[in-house]
Amino acid sequence: MVDVSQHNLVPEHSVLDEAEVDEVLAEYDIDRTDLPKIKRADPALPDEAEVGNVIEIIRDSRTTDQAVVYRLVVE
Amino acid sequence: MPTNQTPKEIGEISFGLMDPEEYRDMSATKIITADTYDDDGFPIDMGLMDPRLGVIDPGLECKTCGQHSGSCNGHFGHIELAAPVIHVGFTKLIRRLLRGTCRECSRLTLTEDEKQEFLDQLQTTKDLDNDVNDVTKAAIRQARKADRCPHCGEVQFDINHEKPTTYYEVQQVLSSEYPEQIAAAMQGDDEEDEEPTSPNELAEKTDIVLSRVNEILSGEFRPRKEDRKAIEKALGIDLTEEDMNKLMPSDIRDWFEDIPDEDIEVLGINPERSRPEWMILTVLPVPPVTARPSITLDNGQRSEDDLTHKLVDIIRINQRFMENREAGAPQLIIEDLWELLQYHVTTFMDNEISGTPPARHRSGRPLKTLSQRLKGKEGRFRGSLSGKRVNFSARTVISPDPTLSLNEVGVPDRVAKEMTQTMNVNDRNLRDARRYVSNGPEGHPGANYVRRPDGRRLKVTEKNCEELAEKVEPGWEVNRHLIDGDIVVFNRQPSLHRMSIMAHEVVVMPYKTFRLNTVVCPPYNADFDGDEMNMHALQNEEARAEARVLMRVQEQILSPRFGENIIGAIQDHISGTYLLTHTNPEFNETQALDLLRATRIDELPEPSGTYEDGEPYWTGRDAFSELLPDDLNLEFTSEAGDTVVVEDGQLVEGTIDEGGVGAFGGEVVDTIAKVYGKTRARQFINEVASLAMRSIMHFGFSIGIDDETVPQVAEERINETITDANDRVEELIESYENGDLESLPGRTVDETLEMKIMQTLGRARDNAGDIAEEHFDDDNPAVVMAESGARGSLLNLTQMAGCVGQQAVRGERINRGYEDRTLSHYKPDDLSADAHGFVQNSYTNGLTPREFFFHAMGGREGLVDTAVRTSKSGYLQRRLINALSELETQYDGTVRDTGDTIVQFEFGEDSTSPVKVSSGEENDIDVDRIADRVLEAEFDGDELQEFLGEKQPATNLSEHAESRRMDAAGDRGATSVASEAPQVNDD
Repeated sequence: MVDVSQHNLVPEHSVLDEAEVDEVLAEYDIDRTDLPKIKRADPALPDEAEVGNVIEIIRDSRTTDQAVVYRLVVE
Repeated sequence: MPTNQTPKEIGEISFGLMDPEEYRDMSATKIITADTYDDDGFPIDMGLMDPRLGVIDPGLECKTCGQHSGSCNGHFGHIELAAPVIHVGFTKLIRRLLRGTCRECSRLTLTEDEKQEFLDQLQTTKDLDNDVNDVTKAAIRQARKADRCPHCGEVQFDINHEKPTTYYEVQQVLSSEYPEQIAAAMQGDDEEDEEPTSPNELAEKTDIVLSRVNEILSGEFRPRKEDRKAIEKALGIDLTEEDMNKLMPSDIRDWFEDIPDEDIEVLGINPERSRPEWMILTVLPVPPVTARPSITLDNGQRSEDDLTHKLVDIIRINQRFMENREAGAPQLIIEDLWELLQYHVTTFMDNEISGTPPARHRSGRPLKTLSQRLKGKEGRFRGSLSGKRVNFSARTVISPDPTLSLNEVGVPDRVAKEMTQTMNVNDRNLRDARRYVSNGPEGHPGANYVRRPDGRRLKVTEKNCEELAEKVEPGWEVNRHLIDGDIVVFNRQPSLHRMSIMAHEVVVMPYKTFRLNTVVCPPYNADFDGDEMNMHALQNEEARAEARVLMRVQEQILSPRFGENIIGAIQDHISGTYLLTHTNPEFNETQALDLLRATRIDELPEPSGTYEDGEPYWTGRDAFSELLPDDLNLEFTSEAGDTVVVEDGQLVEGTIDEGGVGAFGGEVVDTIAKVYGKTRARQFINEVASLAMRSIMHFGFSIGIDDETVPQVAEERINETITDANDRVEELIESYENGDLESLPGRTVDETLEMKIMQTLGRARDNAGDIAEEHFDDDNPAVVMAESGARGSLLNLTQMAGCVGQQAVRGERINRGYEDRTLSHYKPDDLSADAHGFVQNSYTNGLTPREFFFHAMGGREGLVDTAVRTSKSGYLQRRLINALSELETQYDGTVRDTGDTIVQFEFGEDSTSPVKVSSGEENDIDVDRIADRVLEAEFDGDELQEFLGEKQPATNLSEHAESRRMDAAGDRGATSVASEAPQVNDD
């Protein structure tokens, strides 16, 4: 099996710990469910990600060097 | 504006079912008579036109609220239905509830655990904004699986739904022919090797007493369920048949009444707002008369609204039903009437139900009932709320006027006299207001209406205008005509991007068309082949201010689509600047001044040199440089291919063409818009257009057939090339037929041949084009246009002068028509160039009939393609826009939808507007230049302030503001007379 998370076009996905999640939620003044979603079955996710976790994705951007986005793991 | 209708803020909207009690509470009256008006023409009490339901005739008073027509919104009445009927809008939900709940105890046939699980699921789907229906559907599916109610143990039956409003309970009951079926099975079957069964054996197998078996066999005793099952098992037969038990609406209502609140919540229904039994109507609300006004025809007859007709039907049947029931009519008749009542109530709400014949008018036209009023393009939502006809709008044909500024629009005087702006009269504009009123509605600038401080509106007529003008005092309102400098919104459909609707300043003009500067054609995608555009006059100060600051054409010079200018020189402007700067011709003083006469330049710079006779001359680049900001420095490559260098506002070398000043990213325009501001850019574009027009007129620019005809020598060389190509094609065909042709990798021999032929012929056309081109001078108009990027390409030139080339359908040579050939003029399987659509003539030479036919084939495909593509891409764009329309960048820089779900954590990941970044293809963001500019600004007090946002440059000044301030006479002759009057502050 190919591990897509090692592919150079797949950005780094990492699970945020609860403290960091609270920080993010406070920063944007949102609930967890207002975040964009990502399916648990998504092959880019790290193995330890569980439904309800918040994933931090750091990807290269055309307009800025690096863009950080957060996604909520669902299903 | 009526003073009693202050706008109110909507705190909350809740959707749900309505309690029949609520219908009764809000009802102004019960309706019992189907009649509308009596013989004297008065509405009948408790009839469908009861005066308590509101007023439609002007002058009458509403019996419920005491208001007059116009201010009274009308009041609902109600009809007490003789028997409950099903609401068509909820047939699916009713079916679901019947299937999911117990027929005996009405509870959801789910265990407590299952219920809790679905409730939790419901909450998570709600939180995640997913479709709640998925969960409730799953819950019903689960509940249907139960054979017995987990609460009371009652056996559950299947529910059959016959559309639209009939429900059956399907029960398995003992077949009426059970003795025959058993007997037949006991006979056995010789062919199948089945032994006959004796009653004794059967009794043994089934554990039933023999006498009982005999009674069953004789039909004297109906076997109980357990016995039936045993017999079925023993003999391998099915003794049941389906029994359809019709559920009457009253049965369903009773059933639903017993569903406990907790169970409904599992199905996603809020029991406080919606009880399921409310889906079965017992009371029908009667819409107020204002919702179904009757019209008085010319002959004095009243014509009633479709809804009223339908309500008449309902009341009639309702009454017949009651009479029959009281008279003790047979069940069959009652059921028929019940069904009829159901039909009328159904069609009252929706007259387009499949399986139900639509209720029709006497003329045969289907009635337009409630749902038809709301649905579809012409319905209330899409036709009356999302889009509606508006006042103060005008539409007419557009035509060009290069003397206008790009911010302006020429408005026909007859339009200006129809559309008004409200001006609040005060001490400072009193004189103007009186002048407008005294000019009357026919004169321009005049006025159409005045409003006195007591709120009375008076029409200004030719007769009373002089008199009325005397009376106008501060505090009055005058609806004056549009005058020069007013701001209006201008639009061309399809409105695909924000530049399709821009604000312009009015210039009132004679004749009947809207006039606009040709440089605004690209954003509107307009031309003048009969295009029409819409204009809207803004009606309040906020709208006008907003339009002036945000929507004016000059604010839209930079397109957010690609971050460069979308407004700039086009077509002849580009040819003009090209002629002016490419060879850098010389002009004497008179000529140079003439070139610049339509600009604000009225003094020439130091001449570039002198002629032999001592007369000074100026070059084309000098003239162009006069328009540039003094400190502009720029270097780029032009469309024509040379390097353009601007130093300190002087064009040192290079050609100004599409790449310099064109729409869609002309470097000079783009830079000026970004560095010097929108106002400077507007001025520059206006002046470039004027200069270019002067220049192209100075040189003269025309094209005729002779301009694209090549000399005899060239003609012969072209013919030679083509004959050559034909020979090579013949060779290819020959080698193909001999089987010598080697196929290219991944292709068949046939494909290889086709490819090679296409290549050969393509090369032939290019060669022909090259030969033709050699014979055209650089000043050939078609060459000038193609080189400068004004219009057309070298391919067009090739086709006109050299050879039109291969015609293609679906990217291949033309292969269709007859069997094995394209036309009957050719032999079957002729693979030659001319048999498959190679046009060797040029457009100037003219095509042969066969070539013309092939050319038409290729041309048709192009037309079909564009037609299909525009409709496809239009729909795609519509869906895209609908999906994105509610996204908004918030103050914290995130992009969110209306539900506050984050779409982008940072707008565009860099929080930067595309129109505010100076980025090109090769350089990302020019940090050095930005830094330079910041430093530069730091030394200049004024600029620094502007940079830090302490001082805003005025953006809302009228085009006329400058000229007015300088007290200069108008620059547009007759039309500027009105513009000298103060306009910005008068209303």
